[in-house]
Amino acid sequence: MSVHFITANRLLQLLHLLRQRGELHAPLRGADDVVRFAPLAAGILPDLDALRTLLPPKKYLLPPRETILTYRDDTNYQEPQVTTIPLILFGLHPCDLAGIGYLDRIFLGEDPDPVYASRRAALTLIGTSCSPDQFCSCHLQPSSLSASHDLFLQKTDDGFAVSSGSPGGDELLGTLAELIEERELAADDTRRYFGNQRKLPPQSELDPSLPDWQELAEHCLGCGACSICCPTCYCFDVLEFGGLDGRSAERLRHWDNCLFKSHAQVAGGASFQKDRAQRFRYRYRHKYRGFGQLKGIPSCVGCGRCREVCPAGLDLRPLAERLERGAS
Amino acid sequence: MKRLRLAIAGLTACSGCQLSLLNCEAELPQLIEVVDFHYFPMACSPALLEGEYDAALVEGCLSMPHENVLLLSLRKRSRLLIAIGTCAAWGGVAALKNGESRKELLQAIHVCDRISSSGYSPQPLHAFVKVDAVISGCPPEKEELLRLLAGLLRGALPAPIAYPVCTDCRMRENLCLLTEQSRLCLGVLTLGGCGARCPSMGVGCEGCRGPVPEANLEEALDICQQKGYDRQTVIDRLRRFCPEWKS
Amino acid sequence: MNASHPTAATITGVRSLSADTTLFTLTCNDRAAAGKVASFLPGQFLELSLPGIGEIPVSYCGLPSAEGMIELCIRHVGHVTSPLHRAAPGEAVGVRGPFGHGFPLDSYENQDLLLIAGGLGMAPLRSLLLALLKQRRRWGELTLLYGAREMGALLFLDELRQLALRGDITVQLAVDHRTHCLEGPPNCRVALLPALLDQLTIRAERTCAALCGPPVVYPYLVTGLKRIGLSDERIHLSLERHMKCGLGRCGHCAVGTLLCCCDGPVFSHARLRGVEGALA
Repeated sequence: MSVHFITANRLLQLLHLLRQRGELHAPLRGADDVVRFAPLAAGILPDLDALRTLLPPKKYLLPPRETILTYRDDTNYQEPQVTTIPLILFGLHPCDLAGIGYLDRIFLGEDPDPVYASRRAALTLIGTSCSPDQFCSCHLQPSSLSASHDLFLQKTDDGFAVSSGSPGGDELLGTLAELIEERELAADDTRRYFGNQRKLPPQSELDPSLPDWQELAEHCLGCGACSICCPTCYCFDVLEFGGLDGRSAERLRHWDNCLFKSHAQVAGGASFQKDRAQRFRYRYRHKYRGFGQLKGIPSCVGCGRCREVCPAGLDLRPLAERLERGAS
Repeated sequence: MKRLRLAIAGLTACSGCQLSLLNCEAELPQLIEVVDFHYFPMACSPALLEGEYDAALVEGCLSMPHENVLLLSLRKRSRLLIAIGTCAAWGGVAALKNGESRKELLQAIHVCDRISSSGYSPQPLHAFVKVDAVISGCPPEKEELLRLLAGLLRGALPAPIAYPVCTDCRMRENLCLLTEQSRLCLGVLTLGGCGARCPSMGVGCEGCRGPVPEANLEEALDICQQKGYDRQTVIDRLRRFCPEWKS
Repeated sequence: MNASHPTAATITGVRSLSADTTLFTLTCNDRAAAGKVASFLPGQFLELSLPGIGEIPVSYCGLPSAEGMIELCIRHVGHVTSPLHRAAPGEAVGVRGPFGHGFPLDSYENQDLLLIAGGLGMAPLRSLLLALLKQRRRWGELTLLYGAREMGALLFLDELRQLALRGDITVQLAVDHRTHCLEGPPNCRVALLPALLDQLTIRAERTCAALCGPPVVYPYLVTGLKRIGLSDERIHLSLERHMKCGLGRCGHCAVGTLLCCCDGPVFSHARLRGVEGALA
């Protein structure tokens, strides 16, 4: 097939052109060997071989801790002024793109979240292809989530086949004309793992007597890494802090984890998810079966971060492969 | 808004927690406006317990009989009593030697065995009185202290923290010192809220904020062991700030 | 104004109901917002903000009001509700809502209704009760069963005494423990709430039950109701969870794969059957 193609030696030029349109962020390997999405300085190439950044790109849309309302006794509650400059994320893998697609469904549905919406509107998403490693599972369980993007760069031996996935992408592609040539290519597209439209059949309730739950609970350290590093974990806690003037306050939301004791606690300290095994079922349902309006839509995009960062090496995936068999 | 009438007292400890509050220099002028530091011997003289307090903030643990008298008086006079710092919450550094014979400790320090002491093994506040809230840390974070005071102004106690240092650390996108560098870091067992101050600087967590709720000690010890740290080393390290850790 | 943005309201009434429970009347400052926040179905909830302290989900306790008056019955047990204990008229709060699904009033048409409240569960059921009494002719027989720990913990006792005089509703009360100093109303027994079901005669095929109480009592109530012939579809119960956002986003109130804030908090028992952790 005929594709738009950018040869590898033009990558810096491409990045230069992108930087004209806003702040450019891409995966970079730090001195500590951690790969993070970070600002990409001119002349620096991103790490496009690294399979996963420690934190997923959700940090740009839903920062770990952010002010969602401010209060003053004369103006009451007000949304904070979020100054969003155009931000271009380069080098997003299909799983991360699908993760953003999932977050969009949560935060941009009915009554869009104003802070999220303004951050999202400032974002341009440029994906790149990858090949799964032993932690990845996108290729094992096709996801109904689509890897929504503005541009997608399919890696080949000597460059990238470029495709657009949005009107913004079309427009952006137009500005890159000087770098693009037309080529005939039989491209291997990893995005096939996403956008699977098959509807999940109704599933039976989880069996609490499965020994797996207890096993997971015994080893879980409750460190929160699994949800912090998950591209689709969005559970947040809401905190409000008053000012010392007695007249002002700010309300924050910050990342929470369903395995924490406090997660399902209500006033007075009673909890609806008393033991950790039960909380693992909560997590499982959220990741593989979906809550509320997104029931039936698994949110695991198979990026493998939770497996990689869990200090105890815990992994819900093998259980999911057993329990959701026949579901996909 | 009614001014908050406070008693701030230090028991057996280094006074560092009270100093943390005094170090909030930028906020002190504002604090003076809204808080009556009625009893705060470290900062204001004369200091006499008098009448009732909206809250008592107590640093340090108890190791001498006169401290019990002071603590009970503070409890009786105050609507809320708040433990400030790890010593008040868990015993802290002062309780480091609680597992050893007091007699031998006295002898080791005073050399001769004729000196007697009315002191006893240091204990956290909750061993003696009802504690309404705890601000942990050695010392506590300034931000936490200020938020405590802002809450108290409105009659509210702080929402307790229930996550470990690891949560803060991963949120900062740090390398994991324990699993990725095999360095002893107690973050997974230690109460968060410090923003992973030490691990972010490449220093393993020392456990200064005390245990996180539902700490999974067994699993953490297993992981440390795989990284070359035997159980006793880890337990000893943990007990520097909280003697209540059981081996 | 979006659904995550509280609108200003003022505490205009404070009435102590028991040692730890207060009925607050709020009035929305802004007329336009009032039309939205104070229009609700019994069983729905709102999010109440105390500036500088926090936000909590609370069931509506009174009737919808075009004037923007909102009644909330609050027990002072938590981080946010404890400071409310000292709140006085004139204090500023924030409100947003209504959220969730309430009791299915339309399906109650011509049905006999059995309201069962335990403890603070009386709050949303008072809202339902007031709505039912307002259109009394739409329904068949009305029965209220209400239990609390002790006499002093029975909320709205004065209103309940008035109700008993109406003659078009049966009220049965129960307390777990007898208290010597307080004399109860004549229709009050020392018994656990589910025991009140034993001496009840109902027309099961035309009765709907609306429940709100502490989680621990639900399994007993449901068992009792099924014993006297009610089907799962005819039992509606309101679940308590910590709905931190009310919009299905914060992830704190899931019951199985249902979200208490959007799918509930009132569910038919048929929907909760087999859902782990739905009933205690």
